[in-house]
Amino acid sequence: MAKPLATPSFLGTFGLIFLAVAALFAADTFLARMERTESAVEAARLFDQGRVLMQRGNNTAAIERIQDALSIERTNRYYQQALAQAQLAAGKTADAESALSGLLQSDPTDALANLIMGRVQEKLSRFPEAISYFHRAIYGKWSQNAAQNSLQARFELIDLLAQRDSKEDLLAELLPVQDQVPRDLKTRMRMGHLFLRAGSPARAADIFRGIIQEIPTNGEAYAGLGESQFAESNYRVAARNFETALRLAPDDQSIRKRRDLCNQLLALDPTIRGLSPLERLNRSRKLVELTLHDTSQCADPTPPPETRALLDQAAKALKTRVSPASEGEVTEFDLDIAEQLWQARAKVCKSAAPPDSPLALVMGTLAH
Amino acid sequence: MIKNSQRPSPDPSQSWIVKLGRSLENLRGRENQLSLVLSLVIGALVGLVVVAFILLTGRLAARMYPPGGSGWRRILVPVLGSLSTGYLLWRYFPSARGSGIPQTKFALFINDGRIQFRTVFGKFFCCSASLASGIALGREGPSVQVGAGLASVVARNLGLDAKQVRSLVPAGCAAALAAAFNTPIAAVLFSLEEIMGDLHAAVLGSVVLSAATSWMVLHLVLGDEPLFHVAGYQLVNPAEFGVYAVLGVVGGLGSVVFVKLLLGLRSWFMRLPKSSVWFQPVAGGLTVGLIGYFVPEVMGVGYNYVEKVLNGDIVVKLVVLFAVVKIVATAVCYASGNAGGIFGPALFIGAMMGASVGGVAHAWFPQYTAGPGAYALVGMGTAFAGIVRTPLTSVIMIFEITRDYTIIVPLMISNLIAFFISQKLQEEPIYEALASQEGVHLPNAHASSQSAQMQVRQAMRSGPQILSPDLPVATALPMTNGSLDAWPLVGEEGLWGMIRMSDLEHAVRDGASGKKLADIFNNIPGQTSRSGHSTAEELPHVHLDHSLGLALERMGSSGLNVLPVVSRANVRQLLGIVVLDDILKTYGVARRGGDMEPTD
Repeated sequence: MAKPLATPSFLGTFGLIFLAVAALFAADTFLARMERTESAVEAARLFDQGRVLMQRGNNTAAIERIQDALSIERTNRYYQQALAQAQLAAGKTADAESALSGLLQSDPTDALANLIMGRVQEKLSRFPEAISYFHRAIYGKWSQNAAQNSLQARFELIDLLAQRDSKEDLLAELLPVQDQVPRDLKTRMRMGHLFLRAGSPARAADIFRGIIQEIPTNGEAYAGLGESQFAESNYRVAARNFETALRLAPDDQSIRKRRDLCNQLLALDPTIRGLSPLERLNRSRKLVELTLHDTSQCADPTPPPETRALLDQAAKALKTRVSPASEGEVTEFDLDIAEQLWQARAKVCKSAAPPDSPLALVMGTLAH
Repeated sequence: MIKNSQRPSPDPSQSWIVKLGRSLENLRGRENQLSLVLSLVIGALVGLVVVAFILLTGRLAARMYPPGGSGWRRILVPVLGSLSTGYLLWRYFPSARGSGIPQTKFALFINDGRIQFRTVFGKFFCCSASLASGIALGREGPSVQVGAGLASVVARNLGLDAKQVRSLVPAGCAAALAAAFNTPIAAVLFSLEEIMGDLHAAVLGSVVLSAATSWMVLHLVLGDEPLFHVAGYQLVNPAEFGVYAVLGVVGGLGSVVFVKLLLGLRSWFMRLPKSSVWFQPVAGGLTVGLIGYFVPEVMGVGYNYVEKVLNGDIVVKLVVLFAVVKIVATAVCYASGNAGGIFGPALFIGAMMGASVGGVAHAWFPQYTAGPGAYALVGMGTAFAGIVRTPLTSVIMIFEITRDYTIIVPLMISNLIAFFISQKLQEEPIYEALASQEGVHLPNAHASSQSAQMQVRQAMRSGPQILSPDLPVATALPMTNGSLDAWPLVGEEGLWGMIRMSDLEHAVRDGASGKKLADIFNNIPGQTSRSGHSTAEELPHVHLDHSLGLALERMGSSGLNVLPVVSRANVRQLLGIVVLDDILKTYGVARRGGDMEPTD
């Protein structure tokens, strides 16, 4: 009698399937890990090529390589940041902005992404947005060297503010970092100049004095100190410092110009202590002459009646003979006319007086 | 010594196994529960196998032709790859050639869902080697056959009947596609739309479950990454619909060119001597190698280049070139008998065509059109709809691949236009045409709808008298006894066709009774004994599952009142004949003296 065909055992078949599933899972996991490792290596290779190309200034090729790396490791933020940097360097600001928007959407506290975005906005002349992104970069999360990177980001902001001549904002950014910056000469010099730009000559002077104390032969520091004194209208001290600086760096034409300006100011300023009444009178007359000339040159041929009257008054004053007894009184009168003319000039003349001209500086001192 | 009173305690592990075994055996009688469990099991198994297939192919490809490798390597590797896989396919795995979709449909509809494990094994390894060597074919079609094969193997090993095996094959297909494309919904739709040809198929539950399980397995191993990462696109201006319509036309025409070229080349390769079959794939390898020497982008699946195009990173001139060379390379690779599918190449070609149209449109109307990437995205769906002819699946697939919903309306418009153009200019869908070239007649949606009606099997006469082409007319004529108007002529290679009594009688009257039937048959206008011609017009025939109505139609168009009934698996294999009188009897109509009347 023939033996009936046995029905396959469910247990045995399912057991085999279970074993196959387990073996396949192990194989898949191994292959997936291998793929991840190999992909990461390949992506790193492409990224390194991109970085080298970027350093050589070949940003278009660099973008291509970094994009290739990113197509392998899509979620690598470092690659994405580098891509945005390359795009920014290649002038593709829209692409960089788009790439960074995605990054910042996923993590708004990403400091490096914020920093690059700040640069992008700066390049697009969107300064308020740029300042905002720089602030987020300063207070954001850095993957490494947080203090150093944050300081660097702040300096980028400081440079932007200095460039924009935002004195108050600049000072607000400088004050928190003055004790954090490295003590090297270059940084201290930079800080001194920045404080000067921020309208804080006293702090700048302290820094330059500190440097001179350590390196008495540093001409640049003397020039900086001269500028600080100049900003505080201490033209005599400023001139001395410029002189010293020029002695240490005799070929520096910019220092020479500043020194000459100081000397011109010192020769014109009637408020300097120790001048004889006659000298004060002569300087006041000179001021009236200069303001009259300057205003006549820049005003319309038919100025408003009050300006016309002032001009006539100044011309008349210049012709007046002065007795020694009335020297003081005439000096005050002349200075008053000079000031009024200078104020009138601002109204009737289209072009402002050069701010670093001796006349403008002296008139500024008188106004204070 | 053990005392009699001390009974050994039962082995807890044994009782656990026994209980599990009993629980599993109990499933045998509960068809629904068994289907549920098997859908999960097949989903997990197929998902893992397809993930292994993808990873293995990728790793091998990275070693065989690494980016930046020498040009000679790009020629040698595909040639050697196609040579070795060609031999393996010819010698050991003949059923593992090509895409796998027609083979799966053949197994499902004609072979009771039977796919050998050997075919699954061969498909897995030959395709891996073939694709890794740079052959310009896709991995998704083969995955479908592997998935269907695994479902078939599991079901048959569990001793399930043919109906149950058939119901699990679509689940395997869906699981494979869900893992291969990372598109579970499109996988379900594809299984129903293309494989089953019926969106309301009863296997929907198991197909969904299996696709979902496979997708979960994919995510478990590879994480949640779409196939392509695409920048968000949207319609820039309503006028863009016009450009998308143009893309539909271009996509449709491109699809037709691709399909016709592939079918034409396949037909040419099939006419070559059979002894060259093992060597034919080298033609594909050499074509890819030579093109790849100058255009490396043509090699392999090329999805990384598709992603670049989707993100608008390739210039228009290049994408046109890529589309053309990929069409040629894929057509030659497939037609020459390499293992691999056409899904992936369809997406590649579509993306390049889309980027070409989009690039030109954007250059002309930059204010009113999106970048080329958006058109590449839509182009992928367009080519898929035009080539594979599954418009619904293609829309959902592109959505799932990119996870970008904003472009879906333009995608639908382009897809439908491409679909209609393709249908108009290339009537037979590619998979049916490919099967037809092999002498296999896959049932289409029309045939499925007829299955509920009266079928040829109910009126068929099996084991009819057959005539050999070598017989002289004089010998054949007495064998026919004059009872039928035509008789099947069957040679060594199978059915030649039907030879009419009138032709035989005419030959006798003309004094040609010594002539062989083959000569008589070949002299009849429109008749031929060549293999490869197997359409209803060339060889009038019916299949067992055809309706009797269709049989009557074909009798009318061929002028024969006797038709051969042939196998769907091999159109030259005669199963029987169907006679007009028998059909009428089946309908309850008797013929008396030439008049037809209803019988009681």
